Amino acid sequence: MLRKITRWFSATAEDASAVLRDPIQRAKFFKYLAIHVIIISTAALFVYPLLRIFSVSLRPGDKLFSTDLSLIPDGATFVAYASLLRDTMFLRWLWNSLLITLATSFIGVSLASTAAYAFSRFQFPGKKAGLILLLSSQMIPAGMLILPLFLMIMKLKLMNTYLGMIIAYSVSSLPFSIWILKGYYDTIPRSLEEAALVDGTSQVGAFWRIILPLSTPALSIAFLFNFTTAWNEYLVARVVLFSSQQYTWTLGLFELQGQYITQWGMFAAGSMLVTIPVLCVFLYSSKWLISGLTLGSVKG
Amino acid sequence: MEILRSIYEVAGFIVLIALGVGALEAYFYYHFRYYDRPWFFPVALAAFPIGALVAASAIAGSYEFSLWFYFLLAEALIAAAFRYVVKGRHTVPYLLLAPAFVGLALLLVYPFAFEVYLSFHDLKLNTIMMWKNTGRIPFAGLSQYVKVFTTSPLSEVTFWALLGRTLLWTFSNVFFHVLGGFALALLLNNAIRFKGAYRTLLVIPWAMPQVVAVLAMRGEFHSQNGFVNIAITKLLAAFPFLASLGVAPVQWLSDYPLLTCTIVNIWLGIPFMMVVILGGLQSISSSYYDAADIDGASYLQKLRFITVPLIKPVLMPAVTLGTVWTFNNINVIYLVTGQAGGTEQADILVSALYKAAFTYNRYSYSAAFAIVVFALLFFISVTYLHGFDAAKEER
Repeated sequence: MLRKITRWFSATAEDASAVLRDPIQRAKFFKYLAIHVIIISTAALFVYPLLRIFSVSLRPGDKLFSTDLSLIPDGATFVAYASLLRDTMFLRWLWNSLLITLATSFIGVSLASTAAYAFSRFQFPGKKAGLILLLSSQMIPAGMLILPLFLMIMKLKLMNTYLGMIIAYSVSSLPFSIWILKGYYDTIPRSLEEAALVDGTSQVGAFWRIILPLSTPALSIAFLFNFTTAWNEYLVARVVLFSSQQYTWTLGLFELQGQYITQWGMFAAGSMLVTIPVLCVFLYSSKWLISGLTLGSVKG
Repeated sequence: MEILRSIYEVAGFIVLIALGVGALEAYFYYHFRYYDRPWFFPVALAAFPIGALVAASAIAGSYEFSLWFYFLLAEALIAAAFRYVVKGRHTVPYLLLAPAFVGLALLLVYPFAFEVYLSFHDLKLNTIMMWKNTGRIPFAGLSQYVKVFTTSPLSEVTFWALLGRTLLWTFSNVFFHVLGGFALALLLNNAIRFKGAYRTLLVIPWAMPQVVAVLAMRGEFHSQNGFVNIAITKLLAAFPFLASLGVAPVQWLSDYPLLTCTIVNIWLGIPFMMVVILGGLQSISSSYYDAADIDGASYLQKLRFITVPLIKPVLMPAVTLGTVWTFNNINVIYLVTGQAGGTEQADILVSALYKAAFTYNRYSYSAAFAIVVFALLFFISVTYLHGFDAAKEER
């Protein structure tokens, strides 16, 4: 029995004849048991807030403030979801976020893809200075540029518009995207383009027909990075948008939780609706996202 | 209908950007390709300043002929540079780079320069209408910088208190991120079952949208309905002797805001470090450990002399990134304390800078503050990277 459990816990449990009697095996069993207990309790702590939002979102309206800790509350309903979709502009907020985010990611990735190609394949005066500029731009405190961007947007009369938001977001992830894409282009052998050049394409044609199609993975990482940055952004939206018609979902959720304490259930329902797709995309793509992160830093 | 209009608006803007990029490319292409023709100068001077004037008037909505003169001057300089210095070399890379760098110049370098300009002037709620209408702001010299060090950005907390708090905040957060991440990565690096499932569960705080994660955690610290106080109450009911040790439910958000923010941020930041360190651990060849086992090394010795040195190249960039992120973290602090009666006890430099600008409308002051913070961060990073390079050469 004990041996079975040990083997079940440990993927490499050796073929032990008598786990209980053998002190080494016994130590191993307790070691793995301890590891599992520690990890499970930490994981519970890490996941708990999410589960709790889920549980709050299912509560009927009169029990929102109970101190009940059970996962599925008594009399669970989807009332909060229904009233969120019916009584607030939640769908409109999601739509605003989606439009702004798609436009910024599209602009950001297109600009980055060509610039990264120049850095990867050519030698030209100012190359090093350009790369240093990209790196040092990462050192600028994020909150620092909000003020001048806000004033510029005000001067251009783009306050409270999609365009103002797109302008403010579009280059914020550009240096990082260029960095990721350059790292990826560097791994594509030059001989591919040389062959195409011999066959009579131009340098730009080789980039368009050969390099871009080959870089789909890196392009999707860059797109995803741009997308999540803009999708989760809060601070710029806070100062640029001021009518609830134009809100992104981050502002909308904050308002649901901040101003009227009665909307706690709707806040939870909205959080669930936003979090689940983001979580799925993140978990699905995390492997590439992380390799992209390290690619950028290692190639430095 | 609304939806169609919003699509039309955004799509129109993207087309406009594409046209702008096209115009930019055409402009540079002309300068690269025809720099040696006899008609290069006359055509350039005739066409481009007028084009720029038309574009500028279209964007600003007003027409000002004197701009044409500046455009002419600029074009003469640019054309001369292309004719006598660039001479059509490196056409392709520069054309490829042009859109991205013009974008960065307009939305990164220009705002930065504008921030420096603001910090020497006096833009606040009283003068902003004047600036909007005439574009002029009263000059203030260095007085904004003096104010940064002598007055409070908010209502009571001083610059030096904020600086101390920021350093404490950054250090404690990064320390616990690395400690927690390292511990979890070591545990996960064993040959255990459900490794993938555990990893997935453990990265959830990082994967959740930050706004949701922080607001949810803020709810957990609510004095009556939050999990933390409920758990403390239940613990007290189960083990009454804890009360004599001083364990009691507290008003987390109003009495201990900085501690609350720190706990929330530690929870948020551990998964990133865990994933990075786990990646590093998995790349360490097991032969080192086998050799150490033969030599009879203890677990701690292996950790000290094999794992830590080999993990350093992976850990150092992650720690640098983490330090800069934590130092600049407005999100957590603003979302936790922003609405709750506006407490100042948890503000760090960057969040005070954000609140000074947008809650108190002290624009120029906040600009000067931002420059000081930037200089500080720049100094810290350069010193740190210098030390890092020196350590690298030693090895």
